[in-house]
Amino acid sequence: MIEKLKNIKLSTQLIFRLVIGILLLVYLGWRIVQVTASGATFGADTWLRFLISGLVIGGMYALIAIGYTLVYGILFMINFAHGEVMMLGTFAGYFVLEAFSAIPGSAAQDINFLNAQPVLALVLAFLVGAGVSALFGYLLERIAYRPLRGAPRLIPLISAIGASIFLQNAAQLLFGPQRRQYNNPDLLWRGTGWMIPVGDKTVMLTYTGVFSFILSILLMIGLFVLVKKTKLGKSMRAVAENKQAAALMGIDVDSVISKTFLISGALAGAAGVMWGIHNGLFNHYVGFIPGIKAFTAAVLGGIGNIPGAMLGGMLLGLLESLGPALLGLDFQLKDVIAFTILILVLIFRPSGLLGEALTEEKI
Amino acid sequence: MNESLKRGLRLGLIFGIVFIFFMLIGFTTVATSIIGQLVGNVDAQSSSGQLPVSNLIIFTVIMGFLTGISAHKKDLKPNWIHVLLAGLFSGLVTGLMVGGFAWLIGGLDAQGVDFRTYLPNLGVREIQYLIFNVPPQAAALRYILYFVLSSVVGALLIKVLSPGSTVNRAVVTLKKTTVDKLDVGKLKGTLENKYVLVALLVAVGALMYFLPFVWGSYWNYIMGTVAIYILLGLGLNIIVGYSGQLVLGYVAFFAIGAYTFAILTAPEPHAIEMNLWLAVLISMLTSTLAGLLIGLPILNLRGDYLAIVTLGFGEIVRILIKSDLLTALTNGPKGITNVGQPFWRGRLFTDTNYMHLLMLLVLAGLFVAKRLKDSRTGRAWISIREDQTVSQATGVNTFRYKILALLLGAAIAGLAGALFASRNQFTGPEDFTLMVSVNVLCVVIVGGMGSLPGVVLGAFVLKGLPELLRELSDYRLLAFGGLLVAMMILRPNGLWPVSRPKFIKQRLEACKDEPMEVSA
Repeated sequence: MIEKLKNIKLSTQLIFRLVIGILLLVYLGWRIVQVTASGATFGADTWLRFLISGLVIGGMYALIAIGYTLVYGILFMINFAHGEVMMLGTFAGYFVLEAFSAIPGSAAQDINFLNAQPVLALVLAFLVGAGVSALFGYLLERIAYRPLRGAPRLIPLISAIGASIFLQNAAQLLFGPQRRQYNNPDLLWRGTGWMIPVGDKTVMLTYTGVFSFILSILLMIGLFVLVKKTKLGKSMRAVAENKQAAALMGIDVDSVISKTFLISGALAGAAGVMWGIHNGLFNHYVGFIPGIKAFTAAVLGGIGNIPGAMLGGMLLGLLESLGPALLGLDFQLKDVIAFTILILVLIFRPSGLLGEALTEEKI
Repeated sequence: MNESLKRGLRLGLIFGIVFIFFMLIGFTTVATSIIGQLVGNVDAQSSSGQLPVSNLIIFTVIMGFLTGISAHKKDLKPNWIHVLLAGLFSGLVTGLMVGGFAWLIGGLDAQGVDFRTYLPNLGVREIQYLIFNVPPQAAALRYILYFVLSSVVGALLIKVLSPGSTVNRAVVTLKKTTVDKLDVGKLKGTLENKYVLVALLVAVGALMYFLPFVWGSYWNYIMGTVAIYILLGLGLNIIVGYSGQLVLGYVAFFAIGAYTFAILTAPEPHAIEMNLWLAVLISMLTSTLAGLLIGLPILNLRGDYLAIVTLGFGEIVRILIKSDLLTALTNGPKGITNVGQPFWRGRLFTDTNYMHLLMLLVLAGLFVAKRLKDSRTGRAWISIREDQTVSQATGVNTFRYKILALLLGAAIAGLAGALFASRNQFTGPEDFTLMVSVNVLCVVIVGGMGSLPGVVLGAFVLKGLPELLRELSDYRLLAFGGLLVAMMILRPNGLWPVSRPKFIKQRLEACKDEPMEVSA
């Protein structure tokens, strides 16, 4: 241990990091103590509400973050347009639900298809949303990234930024800039849920929240099984380890990369439909902030590491909803908290919580 | 044969999708109105409230023409039958797709379906126009006809112009007799003559001095914006173009400069109203300080992490400016009005004065950037950009030079921010969205990373051109995005790339013969 400490050179960088780190910890501790000591904190019901919303949002972040991590693990590039892929899924799900609410469900009753067959409608909405996102993820790789493989690192990133701007503005021009509202079936209407008594107050556990959380956990388990147990998952891991060696073992690297984009697109699309069902309002900007936050989550958990992305997503969702209250800040600053976490993780632990120590080249 | 059919099918599909996409985003209507202005076909617009159908036909024919031209394969020596087939087939596929689409929307529209809730660009009038004001079946046939004909003509034209054909030979001979006779070396020699150079410089200087008087305030405003973007581009060019560090939150430094200047000079909210020139200096200093603060901990990260961290930093700055937390300092979402105006001989600056000041600063910036590039520092930056490990191995203190690049870039952004706030007499948080960073990045990349004429060209193309084509302003960002992707694939070195020294070119040529190891 002492040997190890002796070997660390005290560069300006290190001193700078240490100073910032200590100052920050002192400030955070002081702030939390101050806020709790002042007695002006929220009651238990409010904390529970924050916790619930943090978990629900965290599940969606985790799903999107897995897309970043999968692509990064294989291509070492940040798929900057991933948030836009999610946005397209949100739109696709919206159109499916709108269409179902327009068709009559049965001849006898005055009821539309959406409420006559809510389960089928939701399944179809998720399938179409995930499918559209998967398709666009695939096209994105074919058109904007594949011709640039082997180019210097900045080039695909700039291409990805271009693709992100293009998709966002294409959606705005196609569907108009106004906010739209998701048409949920009555079964899963927003603002309905179970009432949990906490002390003398009650907290609502919304149906949409529970639904989203369970679905995102199921999808994560599914992905985990896919990566660990199937042949495709094995070849994905092989390609992530070493492309040349994988190719020599008879793995079609291009097809594995395409499939990776399909999978990450589908997960983002599912997260997009969830976002619409849970939050209701959306427009063409819906993917941008979740995209950056999910990237933060992926970095927080250790980019390239799938359990890391799941953990990072959940953690970021919780930090974002509990953080402003803990620190006594305004809720309009929750985005600032997320970005600050990103910067801090990159300064102090660029390999993330679960990531292995990466070499200089990969960081 | 088979090859031509396949190619025709693929291109036909692509162009069909592009044309339908244009219809859905309303670009077809805008393009036809521009064509109307070009051919002087706008009179009918006022009477019936609709453009003449002939404009749409022209647009369709142009698109079909492009289809036919692209259907021709460059590396094959074209044979008449193949060219004809490829043109015919691609035109037919595009025509079938677009015609089918027109039939669909026309038919649904006739049944009273309203698309506007979901697709705002497909109103009743627009649909009637897109189907040439005729029944949908007839419109579909028309589209097929136009596309096939124009595509075949385009393909044939390419065949006629392709190398080896009579027309091509004639053009080449013409070029040999006229263009090549101009002795470029002699022209260059004349330019290097001291007196000619001085005369040229004086002429350009006089032009730059008098132009702002002639333009009027509208053009001074636009050209002022272009000049500010040139300054920003020069600053970001040092960071991205020279030292190769991708910074996506450049707007943060711009915002910090603008806000520092505004807070120091405006009567509200702090009534400091200090000397303007001092305030400009302080704005530059604060931006530089912000650069130091963000740069020190993160500059040793790899390129794409740096991009995202700086993007986050830019958003943090904007959100903080807007937030209640800093409203006392920055006036929150309302922004700061009555930002200080410079005086010149006891009079307030007019727009002409501003233009002159901006031109001078752009010239100074170009000079500094040029000298920096050719200096030891500049060479160190470029070596870092090309290969950081090798650069470190040859004794360059990479971290110090990267920080230096970031600080210089931040200082220039601070200066540009102060000028921006002072010229607009206002600064608000919505002036500093992420799109500003993206625009400046586009200026640097479209012109060519590291290229100074490229920055000037890029600023004119990206900020000046959209002002000329006001109708297209809705499509500007869409085009930016597409342009970035296309540039990276087709022309990653930009419109006006940096010329490399001869020996490097030779080395690169030599490298091309050896297969390079593709690393992960």
